Order: sequence, then C-alpha cells, then structure tokens
Amino acid sequence: MRTKFTINRWAAAAVMALGLAAPAQAAEPLKIGSILSVTGPAAFLGEDMKAGMEIALDEINEAGGIGGRPVEWVFYDAESQTAKGITATRRLISQDEVDILVGGGNMSGIALAMVPLTESAGLPFISTEGSMKIVNPVEERRWTFKSTVDDDQVIHRLADYFEKQGITKVALLSDTSGFGQSAVEQMEKVGPERGLDVVYEAFNPADTDMTGQLTRIKSSGAQAIICWTVTPAGVVFLKQAQQLGMDDLTLVHSYGFVSQRYMELAGDAASKLLLVSVKFPVGDQLPADDPTREQILSLQQKFQEKFGRAPSQFAAQTYDAIHLAAKALEAGGDDAEAVRAAIPAVQGWGGVGGTFTFSEKRHSGLSKEDLVLVNWKDGRFHLADYK
Amino acid sequence: MDPQTQLLQLLFAGVSTGSIYGIIAVGFNVIFKSTGAINFTQGEWVMIGGMLSAFFFVSFDSPIWVACAAAVLCIGVLGVLSERFVIEPLRNPSPVTLTLVTIGLAIVTKSGVMLTLGKNPAGYPGFSGETPIMIAGASLHPQTVWIIVVAALFMLAVHFFFERTLTGKAMRAAAADREVAVLMGVRVRHATMMAFAIAALAGGVAGAIITPLTFTSYDHGTVLGFKGFSAAMLGGVGNLYGAMVGGLLLGILESLAGGYISSQFKDAVAFMVLLGILFFRPTGLFGHKEIEKV
Repeated sequence: MRTKFTINRWAAAAVMALGLAAPAQAAEPLKIGSILSVTGPAAFLGEDMKAGMEIALDEINEAGGIGGRPVEWVFYDAESQTAKGITATRRLISQDEVDILVGGGNMSGIALAMVPLTESAGLPFISTEGSMKIVNPVEERRWTFKSTVDDDQVIHRLADYFEKQGITKVALLSDTSGFGQSAVEQMEKVGPERGLDVVYEAFNPADTDMTGQLTRIKSSGAQAIICWTVTPAGVVFLKQAQQLGMDDLTLVHSYGFVSQRYMELAGDAASKLLLVSVKFPVGDQLPADDPTREQILSLQQKFQEKFGRAPSQFAAQTYDAIHLAAKALEAGGDDAEAVRAAIPAVQGWGGVGGTFTFSEKRHSGLSKEDLVLVNWKDGRFHLADYK
Repeated sequence: MDPQTQLLQLLFAGVSTGSIYGIIAVGFNVIFKSTGAINFTQGEWVMIGGMLSAFFFVSFDSPIWVACAAAVLCIGVLGVLSERFVIEPLRNPSPVTLTLVTIGLAIVTKSGVMLTLGKNPAGYPGFSGETPIMIAGASLHPQTVWIIVVAALFMLAVHFFFERTLTGKAMRAAAADREVAVLMGVRVRHATMMAFAIAALAGGVAGAIITPLTFTSYDHGTVLGFKGFSAAMLGGVGNLYGAMVGGLLLGILESLAGGYISSQFKDAVAFMVLLGILFFRPTGLFGHKEIEKV
C-alpha cells in the first residue's frame, strides 16, 4: 500500500508539472517511448524492428501528427540485457514521462521483466515480443498488449496442418530460453486438445550438437518435428536431422526462424523444411483477396526505398505496434486510462501482420488466421499452405 | 534406432565436441602454465577462428582449407599482438591482474568482431562435403573425422613443441621457475608471448574446424570458452594431456546425458560431474598437488 501511495503522489506531482507547462506550448508533442536491442545477441532482430518503427513514425508525423500534435520518440537500446531494459523502462516512466511504451527489447525475457514496472506505473505498453506470458494472465496485465501472434495460435495453426496431412504423433524440440519454454507450455495445453501425441525434447541455445535429442525422437516414432528457437542452433538441428536420415519426417520451424540468413546457412538441409510464419515474407504470393496483401507490399516498398534493403517480417511487428499506439493516443491523448481503453476497442484493424482484434479478455491482436506455412526454394520463401 | 546404434551415434557426437573442448582446454593450460592466469579471451579466439574463416571463404572465394589456414594464422598473430600491446606493458603483473585484463581483452575482441564482421551468424561447408559416412547404422559427418584428426595432430604438435624444441623447453623452464630460468639465460618475456601465440592458435584451429558443424556468430565464444575451461579443470589445470582427456570426457558425458537422461539437463549433468571431481579431486583427474616448501 505504501508504495502505491508514493507512486500516486509522484503521479500527482507529474500531472501538476505538466499542467503548469502546458499553456506555454500550444501543440505539446505526444511521447512514444521504445526499447529494442540493436546490439547484443538479439541485435539481428532489433535493427529491422527499429527501422519498422521509424517508418511508422515518419508516416504519422508527415500526416500532421496525432490530432495536430507531433509525436516525439524516445528510444533506448536494451543491448539484449534484461537489466538494461529495466533501467530504460524506469527512465521512460520517471524521466521521459512517455505517454505509451512500444517495444520490449525484442526479447521475450526483457519484455516480461518490464511488465511489472509498466503495470504499476499505469503506462500503456504495446509489446512487440513473442511470449504469451507478456499479456497473460490478462487480469494482471491491464496495461499490456502485444502486436505479435500468441504461441497457442501458432500451435493451433500447425495442428490444422497436421490434421490435413494425417499426422498424429509429433516431437517438439524447443530451446531452453523463454521463447522455447512458452511453446512447451502451450503445446501441453493445445496438443491433447487437438489429439496430438507429443514427445518433448529441449536444447540449450548455445548447443553445438543435437544427436542425443534427435536419436531419442527417432526412436519415439514421431512423424513430424517442430523446432522452436531463434538461435543458430536451429541450423544445427536441420543439418543433423539430414545427417541422421530424418529429413523424410515433416520438419517444421517456428516463426522465430523465418530468416533468409538461416536458410542460406542451412543450404540443402532446408530444402524440405516448413516454417509457420506471418504472411509478410510471402506477401506477393498471397491470393488477391487476402486482406493484408496490399499492406505488406506497401511496407516492403517503403522499407526498400528508405533503407535500400528488403525488410524482415519483424519490421512489420513494430510498424503495426507504432500505428496501434498512434490509434490509442488519438483516442486518449494525455489521459493514460483513455489511451489504454482504446486498445481493446480495436476491432478488425488491418495491419501488416494481419487483422488485429483485441478485447479485454485477449490482449494479443492476431490469430491463427494470420499465419501461413512457407518453405524455402531458389533463394526466397514460398507460400506452402494457405488456410 | 536400436540401442547399439544410438550409443555409437552419441559417442561420435561426444568425441567430436569433446575434441574441440580439448583443444580449447590446451589453450587455457598453456597460458596458465606460463603466467598463472586464466585467459578469458580463449573462447573469443575460437569464435574469431570461425568468423574469419567464413569471411575469407565468402569474400575471396578461396578453397575452404586455405580460408581456414589463413584465419588460424591471423589469430596466431592476433594472440601475439594482444600479448605485446596489452599483457607485456604490465610490468610483473599478478595472475589475478592478468586474468582481469584478459576479461577486458575478451570484451574488446568480441565487440571488434561485431563491428567489423557483423552480427549475422556465419558458416561454411565441411572440408570434404556433407555426405554422411555410415558406420554400423550410425551416421558420421565427414567433418567429425576432420575434427578428430586435426585435434590429434594438434596435440602431437604441441607435445613435440614442448618436448623437443629449444623454445618449448625454455618455456617449460620459465613455467617451472621463472627466476632460475632468467638466470639460465631464458628470455621469459618471450615465453609469455609464445604461450599467447600457441593459445591463440589453439583457439583458431578449434574455431575453424567446428564451424562447419555448428556455425558461429560474434557472441558464440563465451560459452565455448567456459566449456573449454571446464574441460581444463576436469583434466587438471596446467596439464596438457589432462586437457585433451578432460575435453573428451566432458564432450562424451554431455552427449550421453543428453541422449539417455534428459536433454533438459544435458549441461547440468556435465557440470555436476565437474563439481564432483572438484570436490573430491580438486587438482583435476591428472593434476598434481603443488607443494610449496618453506
């Protein structure tokens, strides 16, 4: 109780200070704070994610800001370290006094550590990270939302595919990070529900060998292997599965592995791989009536023009998140409570990642309808299974 | 997969990663013997070994073995430069100071690679293709054979160097008793430089031969360094043959633990054994107690 009282007093002081400063400037900017990792192990994701944010912010400010007020962006690099992410969160809350926070260090672990801070400060937070735990349990995540697909939806999407193919026994080979463990938790719920018989194996992201796990999977008689990681160990998995003659099984990688670089490293070993992905990498192959097709092509073109390279799908996560934040700020302005309330009110908004529908019960906007299966051939991703 | 095949498959994997741990452990030991310090840059040298080989392979379109040899040489030079510019200027440092300095050196090395070679993971094909060799139902990657052969050759070379060459003998003398060695005309400062060169070469070799199997990126070195350090501890710090045996043991233990017990506890099992050895035989399997006469 005591801490709450102190926070309220600080909040009151902050409001008073804002109130005093307000008349001096007519169009006080709205502040969006962002934390991503553009250095450290997660940097390979962070760069495109930051670029995605920049494009969205440019669009908003070029269109005259939000309700006539310009958007000011405060960005911190979490350096792939949870401690740095937390320090940056504290700064954004107490010093920069941002109106909304977008981006949680592009590592689920960092975003999870940030949530208690933003929740107790009453700061709306749109996470661009994967883990479901960031927004669950929903009762304890009043202020937190995310622009990525939940793992249970990804597994449901895979179960749909397995059903079509008549596959009933699968192995989940996940890394020991938060990303991999979240998949295990969801599979334990969704697997039995969908009649899947699941074998669980794990590996350390730094592992250089997976023979042990693979031989166990081989003995188990699984028909498909789902590998869940964002680290290069996923390439080791592909190569060793091929070496052990297990590439006649259905090999699947999660959305965390949809990366051109990894496919090139895996080479021949990726030829039979399926990846569950958002629609972004195969935007141009989607049917013409797909609701996200045009959005994807437009962002890809803008990205290419501004940065001179093709974007990864991670740019879409942050691009959408900034636009969602702008929508919320437009509805709520300086009033944090109103900004928060505007997010669950978003229904059927067409972003680049898919069609966002939030509710007070579900703080992730995307669903399995926004996912497809892709494969890698001739140097690019191809649509392998649509709906 | 029948039990024998599975065991064989796990042993192949264990021997291959174990050989790598062994080479890295040799690097640790050479520097420990010569300076008394634990060199935390060791793992980073392994990482650069892979990163540079990949860079040469892609940029100059050279044959893989040329790229790897060039990379290993570069790392040897890097080891010498590190010693000349960072270690040598510290006059008569204590082992603790040196150890701390190598932590700094490791961070600089890692950042340097990140800024020059980039953050993307890198890799290249194996020395003799990717078609697995089948032995009694178990499949063996051709690169695994290379790893075992190169590790054995490297150990022989290190053994020959320390036993048969004058420089090697001088280094052993300097390690045994610095002051007496100086009196006998051994250039001890030279010995430290040579130790860094050998340790860096060990790192480079390990990195160059394992990258086709595991890939590498600028942040890959730390973990390999720790595993190599554990192997050195297991075998007995300062003991060259202990390093190789410690490496192989650690690799095989990890592999068997992953295959038979649980992949979740793979690292835990290996480190539990290590802790056990340290509790009951603190000098490692092959270490001798240091007796200080007063």
